[in-house]
Amino acid sequence: MKASEKKAKEISKKAKEKQKNILESLKSHGAKIYEDLENGQFPKFSIPSRSVSNIVYDKKLRQYILGNSTALRSAKNSAQLRSFTQLMWLAFFANRLTQEKKSSTLRDVYYSSQAFAIEFDDQSESDNIIVDLEAVTSRPREDFHIFPEERSSIFGDLNIEYTIPGYEGKSMNLSNHPDGYSIGPSLTTAELVDTSAEIVIAIEKGGLFTRFVEEQVDKKFKSIIINTGGQAPRSTRTLLKRLHDEMGLPVIILTDGDVYGEHIAMVIKSGSANAAHLRELTVPDAKWVGVWATDIEKYKLPTIPMTESDIKRCYDLQKDPRYESGIWKKELEVFLRLKRKAELEAFAKYGLTNITDKYLPQKLELAKSL
Amino acid sequence: MSSIKEKFNQISPSEFFYSNRDLAGFSNPTRSLYTAVREFVENALDACDQKGILPDVHLTIKAVDPDKPDPKPYILTVKDNGPGVDAKHIPLAFGTVLYGSKFGLKQARGMFGLGATMAILYGQITTNKPVIVKSCADGQIQNQFEILLDIQKNKPVIVKHTEKEASKKGLSVSICLEGDYSKAGNKIRDYVYETSLITPYATITFDDPKGQKFQHPRFVKEIPPPPTIIRPHPHGIDVERIRRMIVESQFEIPTIDDVMIEKVRKDLGLSKQNLSFTAIMAKAKKKWKNLSRQVRVVIALLSFLKMDFEKLSKIRIEDLDVPNKKLHYWDFGDSQSKTVDMDPESQYYKQLTNTVQGEPLTTFLTKRFQRVGPTTAVKFAEFAKFKPEKRMGTLTNQELVNLSDSLQKFDDFMAPDSSCLAPLGESPLEKGIKKFFNPDFVAVVQRPASAYSGFPFIVEMGIAYGGDIKSGGPHVYRYANRIPLLYDEGSDVVLKVVNDTDWGRYKVKGDPPFIIVSHICSTRIPYKTAGKENVADRQEIERELRLALQFLSRKLAAFMSKRGQAEMAKKRANLYAKYIPMIAEFCTELAGKKKEPNYKKILEELEPVEVKTEKTVEEEKPIESK
Repeated sequence: MKASEKKAKEISKKAKEKQKNILESLKSHGAKIYEDLENGQFPKFSIPSRSVSNIVYDKKLRQYILGNSTALRSAKNSAQLRSFTQLMWLAFFANRLTQEKKSSTLRDVYYSSQAFAIEFDDQSESDNIIVDLEAVTSRPREDFHIFPEERSSIFGDLNIEYTIPGYEGKSMNLSNHPDGYSIGPSLTTAELVDTSAEIVIAIEKGGLFTRFVEEQVDKKFKSIIINTGGQAPRSTRTLLKRLHDEMGLPVIILTDGDVYGEHIAMVIKSGSANAAHLRELTVPDAKWVGVWATDIEKYKLPTIPMTESDIKRCYDLQKDPRYESGIWKKELEVFLRLKRKAELEAFAKYGLTNITDKYLPQKLELAKSL
Repeated sequence: MSSIKEKFNQISPSEFFYSNRDLAGFSNPTRSLYTAVREFVENALDACDQKGILPDVHLTIKAVDPDKPDPKPYILTVKDNGPGVDAKHIPLAFGTVLYGSKFGLKQARGMFGLGATMAILYGQITTNKPVIVKSCADGQIQNQFEILLDIQKNKPVIVKHTEKEASKKGLSVSICLEGDYSKAGNKIRDYVYETSLITPYATITFDDPKGQKFQHPRFVKEIPPPPTIIRPHPHGIDVERIRRMIVESQFEIPTIDDVMIEKVRKDLGLSKQNLSFTAIMAKAKKKWKNLSRQVRVVIALLSFLKMDFEKLSKIRIEDLDVPNKKLHYWDFGDSQSKTVDMDPESQYYKQLTNTVQGEPLTTFLTKRFQRVGPTTAVKFAEFAKFKPEKRMGTLTNQELVNLSDSLQKFDDFMAPDSSCLAPLGESPLEKGIKKFFNPDFVAVVQRPASAYSGFPFIVEMGIAYGGDIKSGGPHVYRYANRIPLLYDEGSDVVLKVVNDTDWGRYKVKGDPPFIIVSHICSTRIPYKTAGKENVADRQEIERELRLALQFLSRKLAAFMSKRGQAEMAKKRANLYAKYIPMIAEFCTELAGKKKEPNYKKILEELEPVEVKTEKTVEEEKPIESK
């Protein structure tokens, strides 16, 4: 009991530390702008360039990162004045959110701006400014309590402790509710206390997630099951990373047997070019275990033909340095050869539980050797 | 078959106009009321212009019975402060058609005062009321006439004539006519308004039937220089015109009768003396310089006849055969025809050839046309392949045609003399535009004089942007000889030129607030119709309009781009003024400070330099040959 109390204190301390860091970072940026104005100068700051030419693949980090080129944003430039002000407001707004420990969504941000007479033409403009803030501070927006709309969920024997206001110190076991727990701000910021699981299985689809819970995959394979809901949201990727880094759990990924599925796995593993300015979002050791193109032949899965855009996507990915070797390269080639794809549900051909009874154990076994 | 004998009756001008009144703009009550207003106002302005009087013109329209629906009889009165009309001319001037004072080659609003008589005629036809003319030409007595027109005889019928004392010169004409003010009102108000723009030196007031007063006081104190009557320009003159000019220039050999001989004697101071031939010639030589042309011709003849006055009275000159150098005469004494040779070297021979064959070409050109000097005349002769000394009286029909063609084609004549024209001038035009529209930009130009078909003309144009001008431009104000043209604009040459312009090229976009004022002055405006509402597209006029418009449009473009820059600068400044305080507000909280940073310094630095809206005026160009 004493030990857990101590741990709770530690958790709280850690969370406070993080919040303090974030606030310090925002404050230092604000102070610089303030100083410029006070000195009668146009405020300016530099921001890592996010242009395509400045996005490079770092083999060591196994992810895309931004190169060295930076762009100067100055309030003197009338063309940048508006976005400059928007960014200042966002920093100001994020500061309030962080201090008050209130969460918001991307859409909230878009609407909140209007209370301050800040104009965004549409949400994509405000989303873009949010990315600017991430780039300037090198922190994901979740740190500033800005979250995307939720659609991913988690299930399994994992104890957590909330840090959000009103729930501080309250703990929860994530296997209590069979529909799973949606991965929102409270889960993303919660402390991961302990788990009996030995592996994390990320799965692309909600339907399969439900089946895995039903078939007690969590118990049978001592696993935590995560539904990524297609391309994994950043909060989910953050959580995956934390499960891997903080709890020491390996991560395997199951997707549909097509080029998009392959890339969903790749993004969890090594991030996306869009988020090249952030480094806390990847699980380089995550393993994609299926459905591979070779599985389609091996398991004689029912298939559907690839569309033209599927094929184009294959060629596009072939140019990506991450697809230059290993299974990534090999599977892509097979997809191109087959020109057909198969969904996870295709295993239902052999019975509804075939995927959990037969396919999954084989893949888990295989994963150890990957 | 029965033969029908056609009856040919001569009709009077009044009758002719009565049956063709549509041509003159009296087609319906609306148009007629408007046309009548125009004719009287223009007459009043013309009368003042000619005497250099700053015009005060008062127009009143009153319904005879205000409660009746339109169309109905109206009393139209126009009163001016002009020179008035002499009492003895009034009945003819206002009671006959084709009687007037405006003749000659110079610019005036109307010709011959025809339109006014038409209005009077129309009034009489529709209401059977006489015209009331009050005129004071001497500043002392005002003559008041009530006149009806006898249409068939084209003669005035004086209904009433009274006199009374007066203190000011001026004329007032009042007619009763059927009109439709509810429909014509807009046009009449526009007409008065637009007239006052092009006549800035006139005060024009208008009391309308509804009791509204429209006042347009003068805002320019100088009258533009009045036009003068001048000789024609060689460009565009036709064969018929040349033929008439040659006839005018030729001098008939005078009939040598007793009266003529007496005149010669008197001029030589020999009334009482009977001198010998030699003595007469000696005397003539002495007095040559003071002799009239007629007398000189007689002396020249005498030099070959070698006679005294006694003998001269007994002969008759039959023919002067210049090419064969023979002089034929009939001797009453001998009752036979006789011939003498003429010595071509004699100075008297020259005198006679001049008389018979007309002037040499070069003299004809320099004397009969405007702005042709001896050098130009010789150059022209060479161009037209005529000998410079070619006698005008000896031209064949073909040569006449060649001459006429060459006159039109020769490019080295100077531009026509514009002194017969009375443009408003750039400065008054600009003042007018500024007063009427209070624009952000105005530019005016007066083109050099040009000619079409021998008639000189000048194009004046103004362009203005912004200010009180309504959007949806260009709004075009068309004038000809200081008359606003309001009807039938669709087919007008000015509109054609304006519509051909790609305004985007001049940075004028969208729904621009801008106007164009175009004024064509000419001794004869080529109207398309007798209603004087639209100008025909003569190539020469179109060209001048185009050049004027291009010149002004370029100025407008320069203004627009400057204005664009100024607007950009202003926009930028507004942008800073909006955003910098916001940045300050946000960073203050972010930096954890209480007081906002002093950002005013930055904004002050940015204070845009006040860009004045430029009002361009071209330097007044001297009008050639004034």
